[in-house]
Amino acid sequence: MDFLTGTVLAAGLAIGIAACGCGVGMGLGLGGAMTGISRNPEATGKIQVNMLIGLAMIESLAIYALVVALILMYAHPGLEAALATIGAH
Amino acid sequence: MQNIHKVVDFVTITNWLLLLSGGITGLMIAPEKFTLGIILGGLIVAVNFHLLKSTLKKMFNPELVLNRGHSLVFNIIVKYYIRFAVSAIIIYLLLSKQIVHPLGLVTGLSVVVASIFIAAAFELTKSFFKEAV
Repeated sequence: MDFLTGTVLAAGLAIGIAACGCGVGMGLGLGGAMTGISRNPEATGKIQVNMLIGLAMIESLAIYALVVALILMYAHPGLEAALATIGAH
Repeated sequence: MQNIHKVVDFVTITNWLLLLSGGITGLMIAPEKFTLGIILGGLIVAVNFHLLKSTLKKMFNPELVLNRGHSLVFNIIVKYYIRFAVSAIIIYLLLSKQIVHPLGLVTGLSVVVASIFIAAAFELTKSFFKEAV
């Protein structure tokens, strides 16, 4: 596998797996929160705040993965060296 | 209940303060692209946090939850993916056109996480000193 194919594959896998994981995590958390509110509506405020903090953390994980994927595609630190090596061959 | 809402207010204010201080520090000591990365990355996550807050406030209404139950989860996740797609397009443009430095952008995107950690540390310190007294 050459360098560019590997980079694109890594970027795709990075964001794909991260988005899947974050989606599943958010779904589980939100499902639990809904169940909690249905059982005890008085706890809505507490659940809401904890959900907000948790979801913000999960969301930032997905954004980090996205940035890593985009860096791999467009701002790879070793890209120029790799292209120079390919050019030399 | 009031205390727990204070945490969110604290995180929201800390987001903007961190963004401001990061931007000013960047302007003083870092290159232009790095500073732009901090400011734009911070803006993206701070606005995202506000949108998430308003979505959850609207959706987590006990009557709505009792009536619609788990279908609300779908609603929230769809909104999340729309927000994520918009952020993705903006970050894609910033990185592909090389408008910002990638490390500056990552630093800016860490504003909300840093605020949450600061809030957690603050609460832990407060509870620790309460127990000590």
